[in-house]
Amino acid sequence: MAEFELDCLGEACPIPLVKTEKKMQELDVGDTLIVMIDHSCALKNVPEWARKNNYDVEVEEVGESEWEIFIDKTA
Amino acid sequence: MKLSSNKYYQTWFKNPWTYVTGAILLSIFQLVTIATTDGAWGVTGPFAVWGAWVVQAFGGSVDHWYFFSTESGRAALDRTFLTDPASVRNLGVIIGALLATLLASQFKFKKIKNLRQVGAAVFGGLLMGYGSRIAFGCNIGALYSGISNLSVSGWVFALFMFAGAFVGSKLLVKYFMQ
Amino acid sequence: MAEEAVKKIVDETEATPSSRRSSSRSSRRSTARKPKKDQTLQGLILLVLVIAFGIYLATISATIGIFWLTGIAFGFILRRTNFCFTASMRDPIMTGSTSLTRAVLIALAITSIGFVAVQYGASIKGLPVPGMGFVVPVSFATVAGAFLFGIGMVLAGGCASGTLMRIGEGFGMQMLSIVFFVIGSFWAARDMGWWTLNFISNGPRLHLPEIFGWTGAITVQLVFIAVLYILADRWENRNQEL
Repeated sequence: MAEFELDCLGEACPIPLVKTEKKMQELDVGDTLIVMIDHSCALKNVPEWARKNNYDVEVEEVGESEWEIFIDKTA
Repeated sequence: MKLSSNKYYQTWFKNPWTYVTGAILLSIFQLVTIATTDGAWGVTGPFAVWGAWVVQAFGGSVDHWYFFSTESGRAALDRTFLTDPASVRNLGVIIGALLATLLASQFKFKKIKNLRQVGAAVFGGLLMGYGSRIAFGCNIGALYSGISNLSVSGWVFALFMFAGAFVGSKLLVKYFMQ
Repeated sequence: MAEEAVKKIVDETEATPSSRRSSSRSSRRSTARKPKKDQTLQGLILLVLVIAFGIYLATISATIGIFWLTGIAFGFILRRTNFCFTASMRDPIMTGSTSLTRAVLIALAITSIGFVAVQYGASIKGLPVPGMGFVVPVSFATVAGAFLFGIGMVLAGGCASGTLMRIGEGFGMQMLSIVFFVIGSFWAARDMGWWTLNFISNGPRLHLPEIFGWTGAITVQLVFIAVLYILADRWENRNQEL
């Protein structure tokens, strides 16, 4: 049940999503990945990708144009 | 009641709209454009003229270039930013996006992160600039408006831009990602 | 080709030491947040300025006022929906997602139906057909230009409309790329005589209704868009199964 961070602040699309995909492969079931982004496009395509993979997703707005996406690797 | 928790505020200004909503709304304003101006939406048309205005401001001369020697080219050079419709529309796109960002309380200036981004912006910008000029437009003028106006050029543009995007993706992964 | 791209990325990331580190902060980190700034007031002030500037422009010419209004609308819509023409071409290759590709196809279908109605209406009344300025010659210049543009937009993280939209959102990277966009465009304008002489002047202007008739043209176009939509949908699900 470990938690991992992925800092994608300042990265333009599609880099946050590509990095998230890669990172999620490394994680074990039950782990959580926190993706930090400040690019509004990633706010849409990262959760969309995660939901399609049936992961639990939660988005938190942590500042102006800054978000943390919590992805639980459920399966 | 706090604005940020108001349900209409959240739907209209805060939560992202779906892509399909975007497709429908963009189509509506494309129709507004063709009905009121006899043309469709384009973005890159004025860019070369902006370059010419800057050069002229420093005493340079471009009116002997083929591109600016045509009737429409000469007319464009004679206009100013505020009397050039397409330039005003481009400014509108920037301000419209800023407006949406502020109303969602999401504005923050995002600095360039590293040299890789500088390289990508410079190289990518030059390629887009040159490409859009010789192909008569960008994703909007050549592709979206071209195809919607039932022009074969729009489909040819789409096909080869897709090929370019394929090469660009390879380059991005190879040279511009850590 | 998508797998290849992804594999490449995986190799690249593996080569660098992984930045994996366990978070010391508590889960969901709901506490100790800096308070968010509310920018809606600035937004409302800007809205008033936008309207005032629109009224001023309308006194110069009604046309300019309309261009301002549609520009604001396009920028607002692009930003609220994160609509991105670059991603519609790039994501199928890089991430296998085609949700934007399909949205662009929907936009093309709806706008085509509207435009063909407007064009047909003008044509049967004997009026000049609007939008013909966008029916440009097809030549090697189209091919080369589109190819260069495709490379550029993926690198710069946005096409022309996307670049303008992201400037409004506050991205320094796009503020830099627009400068070189203009320089590139100006450079091409210098070479335009050569491109025109060798390629563009020989290129045919092909308007589908001249080939298939009005009904045929819109039918062919919509069927083609529908086929692309199905292919895009299949592509996404094919990637899903890997």
